[in-house]
Amino acid sequence: MKKIIGFGILLLLLTSCSNDDSDMISIDNPEISLNIPTGFPEINSFVSLNKPTKYGVELGQKLFSEKRFSADNTISCSSCHIQENAFADHNPQAVGIEGRVGLRNTPSIQNLMFMKFYNWDGSKLQLENQPLVPIITHEEMDSSILEVIGKIKNDSDYKELFLKAFGDDNITPDRIYKSIAQFEYTLISANSKYDKVKRNEGETFTESEAKGYQTFQQKCASCHSTELFTDQSFRNIGFPLNTNSNEAGRGRVTGIPSDFMSFRVPTLRNIEYTAPYGSFGQFPTLKSVLDYFDNGVLEADNLDPIFKNNGAKIPLTEEEKNNLISFMKTLNDHDFIRN
Amino acid sequence: MQNLKKYLLLSVAALAFVSCSSDDDNPAANNVTLEFNNTFKNNTIVLGDAASVAATSNTSAAGQVHHFSELKYVISNIRLIKDNGTEVPYNVNDLDKGATVIDQSKTASLSYVLSNIPSASYKQIKFGLGIKQEQNTLDQVRFPNFYAAAGANDTAMMWEWGSGYRFTKVEGFYDTDNKAMSIHTGSTVEGTAGSYTQGVNAYRDITLNLTANAVVGSKAPKIKIKADFDKLLSGKINTITLSTGTGMGDNATPNVHTAAQMVKFVDNLGGNGLSDISGMFSVTSVEN
Repeated sequence: MKKIIGFGILLLLLTSCSNDDSDMISIDNPEISLNIPTGFPEINSFVSLNKPTKYGVELGQKLFSEKRFSADNTISCSSCHIQENAFADHNPQAVGIEGRVGLRNTPSIQNLMFMKFYNWDGSKLQLENQPLVPIITHEEMDSSILEVIGKIKNDSDYKELFLKAFGDDNITPDRIYKSIAQFEYTLISANSKYDKVKRNEGETFTESEAKGYQTFQQKCASCHSTELFTDQSFRNIGFPLNTNSNEAGRGRVTGIPSDFMSFRVPTLRNIEYTAPYGSFGQFPTLKSVLDYFDNGVLEADNLDPIFKNNGAKIPLTEEEKNNLISFMKTLNDHDFIRN
Repeated sequence: MQNLKKYLLLSVAALAFVSCSSDDDNPAANNVTLEFNNTFKNNTIVLGDAASVAATSNTSAAGQVHHFSELKYVISNIRLIKDNGTEVPYNVNDLDKGATVIDQSKTASLSYVLSNIPSASYKQIKFGLGIKQEQNTLDQVRFPNFYAAAGANDTAMMWEWGSGYRFTKVEGFYDTDNKAMSIHTGSTVEGTAGSYTQGVNAYRDITLNLTANAVVGSKAPKIKIKADFDKLLSGKINTITLSTGTGMGDNATPNVHTAAQMVKFVDNLGGNGLSDISGMFSVTSVEN
């Protein structure tokens, strides 16, 4: 009896070993060496747990455009995160399946590996935790992760890519989230005219751009700081309020009263491509945002001190506004939105 | 190797015993039924729409009349405490087998049957209002049945943006002009211990003494638990006045789905875990 059981266990051990061996057909899936721009903030520590690999990124990119993520197979991540718009779109609020309108404006996807918080309210700290949200949200894809896996599991292209990226062709939720995050980590924008001027690569600001940069440093850079052009803080800057009962800004995440209707300072990189502006697309143009700052913002108990201490406005002359817009356009990264 | 073999043999033998022993029990006698009675004070709640005359109405400590059209909450992490103090956990790590949505509109949901409870005399029950952080991830692979039950269209106990479950969902009407009230609770905790974390934990651990010991083995006892939703606005921790609007103090509908106003309701319903470990719950009787 003892011998038989012992033998059975031995068999089991052997079987599990041989499985591993057959899966270990040598797949070369090297880590991708990313060009980390100088002067950018430090990399989010979660990236080290999910370093982009050649096939992980390839798989993530394919999944990013996978319409079977949605209940009726009509929209993918890239339906709202459109590359030519710096992976945002032109709708005031995101539009999901059957024309359902979401709570907020689609944020751009760029330089995410340098970000500490994701989404307008910073609800996610780890990028791998984000993809599930649009998949299950009623106003977005209205599906579930097992529904998605059920639709793609017999697709031989996916089987091959999961095998190449992860060593076997099991399609699991974690692998889907990881590969999408890997793809997104590679979306680095640091090749705008501004960057080239900074790096002394032969480009120079026009007079208007240079003046705009001066005004930017005086009146904008306290929040739109660092090479990301956001200090990643959450602020209530008195923008027109989204009256949807689900909206409280970062307050809905933290429960801290001073976070009520506070939103993450958005990056200004590629800002010209991502109109309209504001957490639910309140402003159609950059000019309308600057006019609003100049005219005065809404009062609030937790209005950001920079506004509170300056009469709830950022005074700007028409010339300053035009120059600021010229400067902001130097943050357009043509390579980023095309390649 | 010889030792390893022994251990393996031992564990195989142990497994064989475990699987046998459950067959020996009389399953019905080892059931414990938790019967939830959702009330305003001592009146069982009848749900109704804005104009309903049948709906049970209640008046808060602040003088606001209100009634509900929808009332749901999640119970999980159930533990029974033996007379000798031993804690018997009931599928506490498996939402599919150990958690349920109590839904006032579905009578069957008000009785939750615990099965295969070890024969003993029990003096206390503990359970969670909501779901512990480590299980609150909308993991469809790990807990497909609970995921399906909570996500069903007529249940809607998911907080998609927070990748977690709703712990409580109360819809209703307040004041004489029947303004909408909509109280949703759930956790928003993000981050790992040791590094930056954010959000509020809306899970509350409840401890209730039984009015008489529940004797499991020869009979299948029923524990009747009252959930007094009068406490929602008039709790041991907070007296809440509802107000409608878009300001940070407004709590009736706008932004109450959010953490900003939520914790006061959570503490009233589930206690604060310190001075109050029963919240709105109490055991009214035990039928052996």
